[in-house]
Amino acid sequence: MTTSSQPMIDQWYPVALASQLPPEGRATQLMGAPIVVLPGEPIRVVAGGGRDLPVTVRYGHVWTSLGEPSKELFDIPEADQPGRRLVEVGVVRVRCSPLRAVENFLDIAHFPFVHTDILGAEPHTEVGKYDVEIREEEDEVWATKVQFYQPQAAKSATGGITTDYMYRVPAPTSSVLYKTCPARPGDWDVITLFVQPLTEELCDVWPWMALFDDETPTTDLIHFQQMIFLQDRSILENQIPRLLPLDPGREIPTRADLTSVAYRRWLKRHLFTYGAQLVAQ
Amino acid sequence: MPTARERMTIRGSLGADSFLPWIARHAARLGLTGEVRHADAARVDIDIAGPADLIDAMEMGCLLGPIDVWIETIDRAPVPSG
Repeated sequence: MTTSSQPMIDQWYPVALASQLPPEGRATQLMGAPIVVLPGEPIRVVAGGGRDLPVTVRYGHVWTSLGEPSKELFDIPEADQPGRRLVEVGVVRVRCSPLRAVENFLDIAHFPFVHTDILGAEPHTEVGKYDVEIREEEDEVWATKVQFYQPQAAKSATGGITTDYMYRVPAPTSSVLYKTCPARPGDWDVITLFVQPLTEELCDVWPWMALFDDETPTTDLIHFQQMIFLQDRSILENQIPRLLPLDPGREIPTRADLTSVAYRRWLKRHLFTYGAQLVAQ
Repeated sequence: MPTARERMTIRGSLGADSFLPWIARHAARLGLTGEVRHADAARVDIDIAGPADLIDAMEMGCLLGPIDVWIETIDRAPVPSG
């Protein structure tokens, strides 16, 4: 690992579901370093040489860092809102850059082509204008006023609707999606993507949700999200270059890619470059 | 596709030698014609002509730019023809 990785070393990352730790612990990797997540009170995360890493348990997951995080894990206020179902989806391993996984999550334009007849459908392929900003106070990327037609926006949806979206990137490998709640118009369902960078080209993706949905069985909710992420995986594992380019190089970003551009700018500003390609090739 | 001619004013930390050649390459990749009207370490003005959607794409590309340059803002204004 190079010194240029330092800003990302000091971030929090998900490394396990707190509720599903086996008695012997979960042996895994974080940014190329072997670690073990050990059950108990408190849960511990131990790196090579027996070094105890900082631990926080939030949103159903165990979070740790190889460095020294300068602030607490980002807040998702909806996690504590009464009436929501908190759904731990599990883990999907993807052979791609952790930054690519987040960028794909932010990309609406792929819905009709990858999640056909579920999150999008032809001929409704156009992404309308929306707002993107880097909020200085929170130091987060936000995309708002995003609208997209979806044949089946959620497991609980019974027909096609125009879905409102907001995207938030509070950490380099985490994103929070707010979308129209079919059961409670006026409220937002929360779907997150927490990404554990195993290496620069391999990651474990831990989706998690906070929904207003009292009816759909949990297994159906989990299967629905896993199906979406498995569809994404086949695309992600074939992207070239494998690292996320911060210089557009041969790629031609357009206005529909505004969120991706803002995300890459934010990564570049903070030197969050683990999993990124710095110079176009 | 409608064509346009615009002045793109780029502000930021633009001192790296890589920036102007990078702009020329990216414009050529998009099939746009352009001319640098002003360049210093904090501001670059380019007059650029071509299809409006591709000028949008030029703005998106420039917002990222090469790794050793930080673009703070990009302003665009029509340039009268003639």
